[in-house]
Amino acid sequence: MIFVTIGSMFPFDRLIQRMDEWAQAHPEAELLAQIGDGAYAPTHMPWVRRLDQVDFARKVAEADLVVAHAGMGSVITASQFRKPIVMLPRLKEWDEHTTDHQIATANWLRDKPGVYIADADADLGPRIAEALAAGGPAEPTFAAEAPDEFIARLRSCIFGQS
Amino acid sequence: MDKHRPPKVLAIASGGGHWVQMRRIMPAFEGMDVCYASVDPSSAADVPGHAYYAFRDVSRRDRLGFAVLIAQLARILLRERPDVVITTGSAPCLFALGMAKTFLRARTIWIDSIANAERMSSSGAQARRVADVWLTQWEHLARPGGPDYWGAVL
Repeated sequence: MIFVTIGSMFPFDRLIQRMDEWAQAHPEAELLAQIGDGAYAPTHMPWVRRLDQVDFARKVAEADLVVAHAGMGSVITASQFRKPIVMLPRLKEWDEHTTDHQIATANWLRDKPGVYIADADADLGPRIAEALAAGGPAEPTFAAEAPDEFIARLRSCIFGQS
Repeated sequence: MDKHRPPKVLAIASGGGHWVQMRRIMPAFEGMDVCYASVDPSSAADVPGHAYYAFRDVSRRDRLGFAVLIAQLARILLRERPDVVITTGSAPCLFALGMAKTFLRARTIWIDSIANAERMSSSGAQARRVADVWLTQWEHLARPGGPDYWGAVL
């Protein structure tokens, strides 16, 4: 199953529309799309508007591949379940987010194992094919918790020691 | 603050990636009296044994929702009276920090999302005024006088 998610805030119709086209071209593929408040309602793949955190994690766990915006919640959750993820960054120019920070996110994540960046709509198909062929990364891309040094520093700060 | 008891902590974050980042620093609160707040009621499942409050998911585009949010934050803060409030963003948590600092004289910690790799988020930049500890997760964004860099959740 390919789980398509636009995250928890703004709509991202461009991703949903491109993935609906992809679904039409790949009738054998099983998909589920989480589309938020998007105006575009897919006709070639099942969709839901929202999933709570528990169901979101469950869908990621069930998926062979996650296709998402370039959001940290999506990539960290995909890593946690060792799922490959294809990410299409939201653009400010098209009112998909308030800033272009997802381009920066895509850029620093692009060489991580299991992460496939689609810089443009046309890259989605090829990145999906690559990711499906490669499967999940052997190890989670990120450790389960923040590094010990960061935890320790926050902890002593909270205790009022720094 | 009573030096003999562990501080009371409110850990508060918006949904999606903000909460996911908060989950990664939870070991920092081990053994403390900590309560949590985020936007999704189901996130309570991530913090068994701790008080959990859901607040309204308000973006910068939804100015009207802020009135509801402020009332919810006030209720959480008055009920819990935390000594320390820590957040991984976003905008609603800026208000939580401001209120906690002003009305409870709490110590406040802002950790800007790791998603802001090129500049502080807009809320993160404003957090300078309400955060006792003002952090970026990117070393190259740290400046003398803040924001500081102590590390990252990844």
